[in-house]
Amino acid sequence: MAEDLFARQANSWWNRSIMDGVLLVICIGLAVRAPNFLSMENLLNILRAVSMLGIIAFGMTMIIIAKEIDLSVGSAVALSACIVARLMEAGLHATLAIAVTIAVGFGLGVFTGVMRVKFEVPSFITTLALFTAERGLALMITRGFPIPIKTSWYSSLGGGYIYGVPFPAIVLLLSFAVIHFLMNYTVFGGAVYAVGGNAEAARLSGIQVGRVRILVFAITGALAALSGVLMSSRIMSGSPTLAQGLELDVIAAVIIGGTSFSGGIGTVRGTLVGILFIGVIQNGMTLLNLDIYFQYIVRGGLILAAVLVNRLQEVRKS
Amino acid sequence: MTDVPSLEVVNIRKVYPGTVALQGVSLSFLPGEVHALIGKNGAGKSTLVKIVSGAVQPTSGHMRVAGASVELRSPRDAFQKGIATVYQELSLVPELTVAHNILLADLPTRWGGMCVDRRAVDDRAANLLKSLNLDLDPRRPVRTLGMAEQQMVEIAKAMSFNPRVLLLDEPTSSLANHETESLFRLVRELTAQGVSVIYISHRLRELQQIADRVSALRDGVLAGSIPVEDADPRTVSHLMFGEVVPRHRPQNLACGKEVVLEVRQLCREDKLHDVSLAIQRGEVVGIAGLVGSGRTELLRAICGADCADSGVIIVNGIAVARPDPGRMCRLGVGLAPEDRQESGLVLNRSTRENLCLASLWRLSWHGVTWQSRQQSVVDGTIDQLRIALRDPESPVSTLSGGNQQKVVVGKWLNTEPQVLLLDEPTRGIDIQAKQQIFQLIWDLGKKGISTILVSSELEELIDVCHRILIMRDGRLVGEVMANDVTPQQLFEYCVDHRRLLGGRSHG
Repeated sequence: MAEDLFARQANSWWNRSIMDGVLLVICIGLAVRAPNFLSMENLLNILRAVSMLGIIAFGMTMIIIAKEIDLSVGSAVALSACIVARLMEAGLHATLAIAVTIAVGFGLGVFTGVMRVKFEVPSFITTLALFTAERGLALMITRGFPIPIKTSWYSSLGGGYIYGVPFPAIVLLLSFAVIHFLMNYTVFGGAVYAVGGNAEAARLSGIQVGRVRILVFAITGALAALSGVLMSSRIMSGSPTLAQGLELDVIAAVIIGGTSFSGGIGTVRGTLVGILFIGVIQNGMTLLNLDIYFQYIVRGGLILAAVLVNRLQEVRKS
Repeated sequence: MTDVPSLEVVNIRKVYPGTVALQGVSLSFLPGEVHALIGKNGAGKSTLVKIVSGAVQPTSGHMRVAGASVELRSPRDAFQKGIATVYQELSLVPELTVAHNILLADLPTRWGGMCVDRRAVDDRAANLLKSLNLDLDPRRPVRTLGMAEQQMVEIAKAMSFNPRVLLLDEPTSSLANHETESLFRLVRELTAQGVSVIYISHRLRELQQIADRVSALRDGVLAGSIPVEDADPRTVSHLMFGEVVPRHRPQNLACGKEVVLEVRQLCREDKLHDVSLAIQRGEVVGIAGLVGSGRTELLRAICGADCADSGVIIVNGIAVARPDPGRMCRLGVGLAPEDRQESGLVLNRSTRENLCLASLWRLSWHGVTWQSRQQSVVDGTIDQLRIALRDPESPVSTLSGGNQQKVVVGKWLNTEPQVLLLDEPTRGIDIQAKQQIFQLIWDLGKKGISTILVSSELEELIDVCHRILIMRDGRLVGEVMANDVTPQQLFEYCVDHRRLLGGRSHG
């Protein structure tokens, strides 16, 4: 009996950690081939490089677990960067401008959620519309040209360090901690899993399905806005052409992390691994001087391979 | 009509892992005869339908079509050998015309199969419709037709194969009364042409109108086959249910005087009409009625799953005008729905999570949850319900049907419920799990938790409940004490033989 229990736990640990293993193997390979890969500076660079997409990916994990999708996050990043730059240009204090921007992101998420809940518009459609409209709005706010940001301390948000750790990486880890806690240790997290796994069963069990759906979009909207703020700080301007195609990288990270489109399955921890996976691959290929066009092909192939691995695991389990 | 039978099934046996669905059934279906097949759920009716339509193969026994031995390997095979089946769910393509749908399996083409010959399609379909005496325009798109007309198209489609035997599986389940009549006209037209019709229906009052012969299955054997003239409701129910089974209800099952749940004049569309009832503390109340009588709708309206048009629900003196599941859950009313996989369980999550589904907030500290805290509660529930499992963290889909059902009921036990609404809780589960669920209902009753139990198994209601309400066409039409009634009597109340042709229809 005890042996059986041990085998089961070992088995579930193995199942959970297969992507971790793959990531580890790749890291070891890179450490051997590219000596500067393991330097602290490079590792922190990787973290900073993936932090913008990573922050959003934790929100996207909740959305996909709830069996929804958000295609608008890339445009939301650009829009947020433009809003925050425009507000500061108009003389608003930076902290206030950031707060307003994050509130707008939250509100856009609420909008998607309300469309889903009240009017039963699939989130794919609403966010596809927002994908285009928010980009247009960003272009309108900026009249097509980046708005420079002049507040000098603002640059430390995207480029600064605390105890040698890039500030965006700290934000990344903080948002991981918060969303991980939400999903694993709160009523809300349990409800998200239930709604994604079987919305009708969740509803009949007294769970406020509508509220859960609206909240996952709203939280992700706020995270996208936060990511937009960091990005505008990195380049010290609000550019309407930022983060094009970012939504696909975000979704890729979530899927690589083992979250399933069928709803109700996935972990925030897995997404963290997915984010690091994308960062390490990108960084490694650059260190190895791989042709940039070829890099795209490799990234595409790896996404597919990762999903296949997760899929095979699922099949083996059932 | 003394010819060779169109179809004979001889000594058909079908064994599934764990159960014997049919144990040697023999029947003959004569040309020009409407042969009704009845039986309660699990009697083996649907297995026989599947075998005759070629969807499954019998374990042993054989079939003869017009005297010649046949073996049906697939539904297509059955069609080619002269047995056409019209299923309960229609299979028409809404955007295509009537003619196109009828000839879909065998479209006349031109240019070596490159192109559909529209004129030939229309002509052939028109001829077929005419031969069936059906007044339908072959060029109309099917989506513009009503349910009854679609059903006719479906039958015409089956008839395009010139079958000897036509199997109609619950053809009237989605039709209103006047529509049923035109369907019957078509069936009579078919029998006049010598087709043998096998008619499956839960609506027993239709038998007198359409059937020539009635055969009943019970527990996988043929309980009897009689001409319709002899098939009065008493005989039919005796055929379906057999002798009365002994009851097991504990004698000391008492209930309080205090009313915990009251429903006043609940109405919902054409599903529920002016339903009022009151449940006392610890009482076990059954709801009997035929399929479609509004039993499920009543439970769903009480717990707020569907919105009622009017009416009030009062729980422990608190009146709720527009219930929703969240509110009713907090008031202590929980539903274990009929289809546990569809709406009772989150299949890909663990047993622990499913057992905590309705009590997430209750088991938390201001919204913060611990797995260990949930775990101790869940362990208690698993013990109490004797849920057999290897690991509470494995997906609930890995449990057997009976254990899944226990989880659906069990998730309410952690919510301090007042009233449990159980919709067909024993469907598809074995006899031991059934007894355990009954025992649970009685144990809860002793603790002052009331249950409303919907079941198609009338014996079960009599065994388990204090009191049984009878539903018909969305109305509560009567009430009996379980001690004063036999399954046969209860069945007759549900069917209402005094109003065989009357009343409105239900869907």
